[in-house]
Amino acid sequence: MSARPAPPLPLRNRKSTMAQQPETRISATTPRLDVAHLAKTYGSGEKSHTVIEDLTFTVDAGEVVCIVGPSGVGKTTLLKCLAGLHPASSGRAAIDGRTISGPPPEMALVFQDYNRSLMPWLTVRKNLVLPLRHLKLPAAELKERCDSALAAVGLSHADNQYPWQLSGGMQQRVAIARALAYRPEILIMDEPFASVDAQTRFDLEDLCLKIRKDFNMTILVVTHDIDEAVYLADRVVVLGSRPARVLKVVDVDLPAPRDQITTRSLPDFARQRTEVLSLIKRPA
Amino acid sequence: MKASIRPYAFSALGIAGALVIWQVLATAQVAGNALPSATTVFTTLATILGTGTFWSALGATIGIALLALALAALAGVVLGLLIGSFESVRYATLAVLEFLKPVPPIVILPLAVLVLGPTAEMALFLVVFGCLLPIVMQTVDGVQGTDPVARDTARSYGMGEGEILARVVLPSAMPYIGTAMRLAAPAALVVTVVAGLLGGGPGLGQTIYQAQAAGDYASLYGLVIVLGVLGLLFQGATRLAERRVLHWHESYREVVP
Repeated sequence: MSARPAPPLPLRNRKSTMAQQPETRISATTPRLDVAHLAKTYGSGEKSHTVIEDLTFTVDAGEVVCIVGPSGVGKTTLLKCLAGLHPASSGRAAIDGRTISGPPPEMALVFQDYNRSLMPWLTVRKNLVLPLRHLKLPAAELKERCDSALAAVGLSHADNQYPWQLSGGMQQRVAIARALAYRPEILIMDEPFASVDAQTRFDLEDLCLKIRKDFNMTILVVTHDIDEAVYLADRVVVLGSRPARVLKVVDVDLPAPRDQITTRSLPDFARQRTEVLSLIKRPA
Repeated sequence: MKASIRPYAFSALGIAGALVIWQVLATAQVAGNALPSATTVFTTLATILGTGTFWSALGATIGIALLALALAALAGVVLGLLIGSFESVRYATLAVLEFLKPVPPIVILPLAVLVLGPTAEMALFLVVFGCLLPIVMQTVDGVQGTDPVARDTARSYGMGEGEILARVVLPSAMPYIGTAMRLAAPAALVVTVVAGLLGGGPGLGQTIYQAQAAGDYASLYGLVIVLGVLGLLFQGATRLAERRVLHWHESYREVVP
């Protein structure tokens, strides 16, 4: 789907913890992230509650895919399944053909609630270090990773501050830097820019695109903002409720590099956001 | 600066007022010999402060209270983390703990004296008994109050359960543990003194008991004043420690965004 070539990823750095899984041959057509007939039901018997019924979509290497849908559709549940935090009830999600059964080492997750996801007792730098400790990196590499991640989000000056001393937008940038320092190949973001003001939101969207370009990362963003989805994405997965199912996967063919002013004023932009919007607005 | 000096001035005025009232009441002989005058008490106190027995008693009281507090904190936090983290441990222990919680240490004092004798161990046991449960309960609350988003964040980055417990859950529970410690510190002092006063354990409690038995009211009041000051110091020290450890918490933050 992506027009982007897939050069070797410079950031791949960890041994896979999924080695026990039977090895699946990775062909040129194996998507980076493959969600096939994924379902999630909480509880059992009469009290069971199906949040996701049958989701199927793929994300190719280096792609930015946005998932949009009405609120309460189960987008967060989907991300928790992808991140290996919740097991799927049936179907599967796989990275490079290997079924996700626990938090995948090549994936990092950015939550909407930066103020709940960042640890208030740690400085910015120590927040970055926290998830890296168990990787047992040499001190020099640890420092280099944190330095470059902070530089990438423009927060080199704030490394000794505490998250709560920073503005909301800066805190979300810290959360993104923490993900970058982890050097994931796949970055998953759950409504990452929903809790910041409009101007900061534009900046963070561009930061997201810059990260994709600079780090050649595969990015999956859940959002309820249709404009944001069209602006960011190579493809938009439109979900319908309830339980969640894929209404349509919309290919976004807007030229790169995208720009907040020129891209958003393109006729194609308006056409595609209308397409997505009408899918969501359509009575189920 | 004016605003910061005023409270101190009024505090000093209040203390001076209380001393004057004391002196007047004592001079008027309202309670006969049972209430010696403030001047007599402070003179006696000065003499007491010059004796080695006083300082060793003071040392024993502080030592027992602090050691017991440390033991209770260590055991309480470890137990609290276990109980808070594992549902099975929680169900197995909570009924017993809830039952023991309202039992004041004074109730088991006779038993403790019977088994351990009038010793430092007896006092230590009573203080640990008195302080342990509130610390356990607060730690359990703290563990359960850990933000699920913080936990999910740690898990999504592949952190192990042990690491999450030590580096995410424990720090999250620190404000709860701090509150428990702030309440436990003065309680530890009180129970140490009670163990000496009623159980014959070493320390200032025993010294007070001896003064009372000898009818030495001036010494008795002097020692009570020492205890009062000690209590204030304990409270001040725990507050200071809490402020340092929890400087990041909402209630102590110096910079509000």
